Amino acid sequence: MLDTILHILVPIAIFIFIATFTLFAVYAERKIAGFVQDRLGPMETGKYGSLQTIADILKLLQKELITPALADKILFRIAPIIIFVAVFTGFAVIPWAKDFIPANTHTGLFFIMAIISIDALGILMAGWGSNNKYSLLGSMRAIAQMVSYEIPVGLSLITVVMLTQTLNLNEIAIGQGILTNGSIKFLGFWEVNEIGGIFAWNIFQAPHLIVTYVIFFIATLAECNRAPFDIPEAESELVGGFHTEYGGIQFAFIFLAEYAMMFLVSMLGVVLFLGGWNTPLPNIGILRMADWTTGLLWGIFWTLAKSLFIVGIQMWIRWTLPRLRADQLMNLCWKVLTPLAFLCMAISAIWRILIIA
Amino acid sequence: MESILFYAFALLAIGSALLLVNLKNIARALFLFFIVLFAMAGLYLFALADFVAITQIMVYVGGVLILMLFAFMLSNKELLKDLQDSSGSFLSMPKWQAIPLALGFLLLMIYGIMEWQQSIPTWIQLSFENNTQIVATDNNIQQIGLRFMTFYVLPFEVISIFLMMALIGASHLSRKERNR
Repeated sequence: MLDTILHILVPIAIFIFIATFTLFAVYAERKIAGFVQDRLGPMETGKYGSLQTIADILKLLQKELITPALADKILFRIAPIIIFVAVFTGFAVIPWAKDFIPANTHTGLFFIMAIISIDALGILMAGWGSNNKYSLLGSMRAIAQMVSYEIPVGLSLITVVMLTQTLNLNEIAIGQGILTNGSIKFLGFWEVNEIGGIFAWNIFQAPHLIVTYVIFFIATLAECNRAPFDIPEAESELVGGFHTEYGGIQFAFIFLAEYAMMFLVSMLGVVLFLGGWNTPLPNIGILRMADWTTGLLWGIFWTLAKSLFIVGIQMWIRWTLPRLRADQLMNLCWKVLTPLAFLCMAISAIWRILIIA
Repeated sequence: MESILFYAFALLAIGSALLLVNLKNIARALFLFFIVLFAMAGLYLFALADFVAITQIMVYVGGVLILMLFAFMLSNKELLKDLQDSSGSFLSMPKWQAIPLALGFLLLMIYGIMEWQQSIPTWIQLSFENNTQIVATDNNIQQIGLRFMTFYVLPFEVISIFLMMALIGASHLSRKERNR
């Protein structure tokens, strides 16, 4: 009985977290945009405009649900739910702290990859259901982009899994800090089990993972359909892309899914490459900084801090770089990222055999 | 609780499959196909085949289904009219192949039920006695990987060569002719 209640409470808690995160992420995004473009951003509602997004969501919730007359009504209604649920389910297998994970499965990483592909289906459903040429074009672009960029993402995940030898995200995170049972070697030669901290992170255990992380970051940025990879919803060409026809709470859910996806991929990157919930502070002599900053609350704090930092970089990139053209997008994926990811995978295999084994 | 979930998934799979073949709207049928595949993946979980379940979603939903939707959306409207045409009666010509197929499957299933002895097979009993049965918390992936690279290495390699051939064929077909 207690288990069942827990199984209901945890998703609710995650949902509340995602909703609050989205509210403040949108505010942060506007403020960052304002900073980048040398203006103030929202200033009117609340102190420094801090209530602006809350006012926006209240407006969205009150709006009438409009379904276009010629739309496929069922698909149109279901699509935002599928898009959101697909992303939301991904949070089930990501650890927040040691053993503090909604579902501790051996197939965690693989599960996330599969779940993210459902998101693409939801977008296609939205585009087709709207019966609008802009929506359809936007969703076609989105699918082409997401299916292509799934390949570099998958390859970079394999690169990590080859070294960690497990798909369990909890164990991958444990393997990057002072709590591990195995041996951790900084750059493959210096044993850092005692020191921990930033030296024990995956990207510093094997240096080619830094390249892999950059590939992963770029590719997941495209998976989220965010600038500079936002041709699916390019406002200047396609009105609003696949969500042109959506309004009110349905639009809110699509928006929520986009921000949840941003946070999901940031968190995934943090767990796989940047040490997960492990502290960046090392033990130096009697200064046991890694021991002091390891624990349940510290773990949650580090996960949040690192993930929010990555989300911040995503926003910074969005407002700095111009949008890529469709052919440039595909060139980047197939001619740059995919071969590089294959190369990293090969290095990983050699690394595994020669250095770790 | 588990049997309720099992029957819910089974009902979902069968119900949406029945609806799928009766639907005239192809776009909706394809999206229903997603529900069928998803419910099937749920059923795999009850066989403790979590890896197979996730692979099902990954390959079929992420790959095959999206490809089918693409093919559907890029194909000619006139071409689709034939498919969406509801004029055909129950035994019209294009459907006659389906009847022997369906009958064959039915016979196969009846044969299976007739042959089925309702006792637990000996190999399951043996593994119960030796305590080697798989439980839900076991790490099956390691087992699958080891089996792939030892017992089933030949089929595994044959499949990968087959996939490679398909890839090369696809890239050859999509290549533009240089001199025209």
